[in-house]
Amino acid sequence: MVALILVRVVSFAALAYLALPLVVLVGASLTTTSFLAFPPQGLTLAWYGKMLGDPSYVSAFTTSTVLAIAATIVAMLLAVPAAIAIARYRFTGRRLLSETLMSPLILPHVVLGAALLQYGSAIGLVRSFPALLVGHVVIIMPFVLRAVLPQLTDEQRSLEDASADLGARPLTTFFLVTLPQIRSGLVSGAIFAFIASWINVELSIFNTTAELTTIPVKLFNYVQYTIDPTIAAVSGLTIIVAAIVIVLLDLTIGLDVLSERR
Amino acid sequence: MSRTLRPVVLLCALPAAFFVAFFLAPMVVVLIASLTTPAGQPTFAHYLRILADSYHWDVLWVTFRIGALTTLICVLIGYPLAWYLVRTVRWRPWRRFCVILLVVPLFTSNIVRSFGWMVLLGRNGLVNDGLIGLGLIERPMRFLGTELGILVGLVYILLPFIVLAVGNALAKVDPALEHASADLGATPAGTFRTIFFPLSLPGLMAGAVMVFMLAVSAYVTPALLSGGRITVFSMLIFQQYSSVFDFNYGGALSITMLVLTLALVAIAGRLSEPGRA
Repeated sequence: MVALILVRVVSFAALAYLALPLVVLVGASLTTTSFLAFPPQGLTLAWYGKMLGDPSYVSAFTTSTVLAIAATIVAMLLAVPAAIAIARYRFTGRRLLSETLMSPLILPHVVLGAALLQYGSAIGLVRSFPALLVGHVVIIMPFVLRAVLPQLTDEQRSLEDASADLGARPLTTFFLVTLPQIRSGLVSGAIFAFIASWINVELSIFNTTAELTTIPVKLFNYVQYTIDPTIAAVSGLTIIVAAIVIVLLDLTIGLDVLSERR
Repeated sequence: MSRTLRPVVLLCALPAAFFVAFFLAPMVVVLIASLTTPAGQPTFAHYLRILADSYHWDVLWVTFRIGALTTLICVLIGYPLAWYLVRTVRWRPWRRFCVILLVVPLFTSNIVRSFGWMVLLGRNGLVNDGLIGLGLIERPMRFLGTELGILVGLVYILLPFIVLAVGNALAKVDPALEHASADLGATPAGTFRTIFFPLSLPGLMAGAVMVFMLAVSAYVTPALLSGGRITVFSMLIFQQYSSVFDFNYGGALSITMLVLTLALVAIAGRLSEPGRA
């Protein structure tokens, strides 16, 4: 009984802890004062207006979004065939392939970023969109693999075989049989990959410039020197977008990851 | 064999080539740089310099201490929270709300989350105001620039990983086991000790290893919450690459960090093996 009460107390405290910084930033972004204040003094959307009127923020948002979309598409095009090979065929080096493709998940991103910068300067691929893109593809491919692999089950395989026996070409089988069955994995993999790219700092920071920068890197450079309600508005916007994406995810593919009825 | 080989090559050629070009090759370049002089002569000098410099040992010690404490606190908070969410919350809307609350931070940049704590932990931040209001302290405490501040930020950022890992494991426990245990006369504590805890251990270990790796290699959160007063290992690496431009020495630091973290993770994995049986 005591244990249950303790669990409850810790849990409520932890939930409050999880909500606190997000609530404070969104709150502080609404203040009418010219400094950060929480609780906000007065309510205004002026700081959001200021952010949207600043071309450097708009361009950073655009870069982040275009980069994340491009990286997600490339990562899907590379990861899905690899996932099919790993799930459907037994070949030498299969384990090595899957472990290599997953390893960016556990390697420190600062090390990866430094490696890409050093290597990039040798082959002339630094501080450019393509340099950012290849790095992001490497770190988000594990998210696609992890979401798609469990969906390529063995039961499906007999359907694929049936399709082949009935004379469908491999690509036809892929589009008509395999793809529809792994759709939810593709969707969630793509979303996680997109987000991982969109919020990345450690890797991007090595290849950004004053002109070519992503929103998290721009925030990082700002926050170290100035703190004002515009920064809170930029942060607030990213929090609100994240919350909307998650609620949409919950309503469409279901986010109840902790439910036992799965 | 060739019946398998052809489709595998077709499917894997591009992804494998991409990874060789933009992942393995860069890592090899770093490894080679760490073992050569700027002129390209082979040398161990960079590693010897790391070993000889007590400053690096201090930084390593701080980094791994922060990593270990972060992991410990995450486990102590995350386990009860996972238990609460999986085993006690029955009202679906509240449960959904809690899960969303757990996932929203994961979808938000480390910068934003750390920035939130910079605001909260400042001299006139909500935390100091609250502690003074409760009469626990008289004057504002300094959190920014202390290890405590970094811990608060890192635990915040990494807590969801433990909760999701443990929660997933707990959710898979067959309720019949629990009933059987109770029918056979076990107390709730006994059921927890003999059934739930062992079954959740692999999830807990996987989550803890993930948290430790991420805490030890974190750059953004310590950089923002240390206020420049505390140096962790990733900052040393970043300095070498972004301001000192010594890629050889930076490479040696990178490889050192990589080897140390992977070694610790391998040890943790080995230690948790018996729990899997």
